[in-house]
Amino acid sequence: MRIRCPYCGARDNGEFSYLGDAAPRRPEGMAAEPAQMFDYVYLRDNPAGAIRELWYHAAGCRSWLVVTRDTRTHAIAGVAAARDVALAREAGR
Amino acid sequence: MPETEVAARPASSAWQPRSPWEGHARPGRHGRAEGAPGLILQPRGRSGLALLIAAPGRDTELGNRLAAHLGWSLPEPGRTRIAGERGLIWAAPGQWLALAEAPEDLRELDTLLDGVAAVTDQSDGRAVVRVSGGRAREALAKGVTVDLHPRAFGPGRTAVTGIAHIGAQLWQRDAEPTYDIAVARSFAGSFWDWLTAASAEFGYVVEPGPRA
Repeated sequence: MRIRCPYCGARDNGEFSYLGDAAPRRPEGMAAEPAQMFDYVYLRDNPAGAIRELWYHAAGCRSWLVVTRDTRTHAIAGVAAARDVALAREAGR
Repeated sequence: MPETEVAARPASSAWQPRSPWEGHARPGRHGRAEGAPGLILQPRGRSGLALLIAAPGRDTELGNRLAAHLGWSLPEPGRTRIAGERGLIWAAPGQWLALAEAPEDLRELDTLLDGVAAVTDQSDGRAVVRVSGGRAREALAKGVTVDLHPRAFGPGRTAVTGIAHIGAQLWQRDAEPTYDIAVARSFAGSFWDWLTAASAEFGYVVEPGPRA
């Protein structure tokens, strides 16, 4: 499997570290209900199909990436810098 | 290194600069003995290297100051802008390696870039070897997962990657091809072992390295 880093181009997946689902958002500090925090820390969907997940280009440009991957085929539909994804989300608020 | 050279050093101080390649690189012809050597390996001396990390949102200001005072412009991701032994090498988003003939040449960056970038001297932190020759691409392909074919990679390009599980940054200088490869100084010995093992079947020449 190769991941097309937006900065470095296509690289072997051995250069990357995997974190997991990119969807969870940390609830607002001390205000969150225990159930919300439990959900954030432990509960994950396990889809057979497309998932957006966080990868870290550890052996390359040291950037966090959001990779859209199909869990059945490992086909990668898109890669974006996590920083850009976060900035776009902030701008959309 | 011959012992006579070591003995010739000034005795005034026990502390002497030492090339990271010293004790590893043996000048001369090695590997396959027949025919022209496939590679030339040249351990680089103590050139100036510094990592520049732009403060958030200050990339443009960083570029402006470097252009105004040094005539340098920031290369795009994956690119270098080097003239001779001076210039800039892209290293990561918002980060560049500055290159100069000597570490002293980069001292002014601290004050020049005050407030727009963090400057970290890497002159003694990285070991650089220059690899060239007709078989250089084939030898490097044994450990580099980046496609170095001229279609995909050429002069003015750089890659931060791993070579034989050793973190490395390489950049291509010319189409001969000539590559400079930088690894963390403490990995110089391990990297040299890999590089010479990969080069042996083609025959290679190690050029005399610097004293420090």
